[in-house]
Amino acid sequence: MEEKRENRTEALIEVIEAGPLKITGNFIFKDLKKGEETSSGEIWLCRCGKSANKPYCDGAHNK
Amino acid sequence: MERDKSLSYERKYTNGEITVYWKQDACIHASYCYRELIEVFDPGRRPWVDMKGAPVERIIETVNLCPTEALTWKWNDDEKNNSVQPDQTNHIKFRRPELMKQDPANMKENPVSVKVMVDGPIVVKGSFTLDNSGRKKEIIESLISICRCGASNHQPFCDGQHRKIGFTG
Repeated sequence: MEEKRENRTEALIEVIEAGPLKITGNFIFKDLKKGEETSSGEIWLCRCGKSANKPYCDGAHNK
Repeated sequence: MERDKSLSYERKYTNGEITVYWKQDACIHASYCYRELIEVFDPGRRPWVDMKGAPVERIIETVNLCPTEALTWKWNDDEKNNSVQPDQTNHIKFRRPELMKQDPANMKENPVSVKVMVDGPIVVKGSFTLDNSGRKKEIIESLISICRCGASNHQPFCDGQHRKIGFTG
């Protein structure tokens, strides 16, 4: 993957160790099961499979 | 002659009318194919692609849903390939220019898209910064698939385990 500084985007995808996936900046988010669509802002998505509020993180990974 | 690594794990399937190409190492397990058309694309069967399982149109529709170039297709009649339109997203002309002897240009910048797949991973597509537990990487016009079931052996990326453990959510 080549680095192209001029095309650097503002979306940041963060894999939090032993925690959720944090997404910030400019993006289009879509949950294909619920059909929900949001754009931009900040979302935390479950990575452990245990959240009761999927696809969002509810802190269940700490339990 | 130099060997083309991008073709190393490729398989071909045909029903006489079209050919479907399967490039295993490009698969991110987004799972569109078997959710849409299990009759043709069944990961639990060998061979996993059965070109007799559905009409040609349905197979084309389903291959076009693949977000990577793991699944691509072409008409066996070359005349037809020349007039294929861009809405046929996974035709080899658009996804696999190396198979069409064509200029690999026409790559356009897309906005970053984050999709939560049904009972599957999170697919992030476009250009963005990936911060993997402190290790930062710029992803340019590409896509990654993040595990959501917790069972992947290739964390944080999806390796298809969600199907084996019957993950829902």
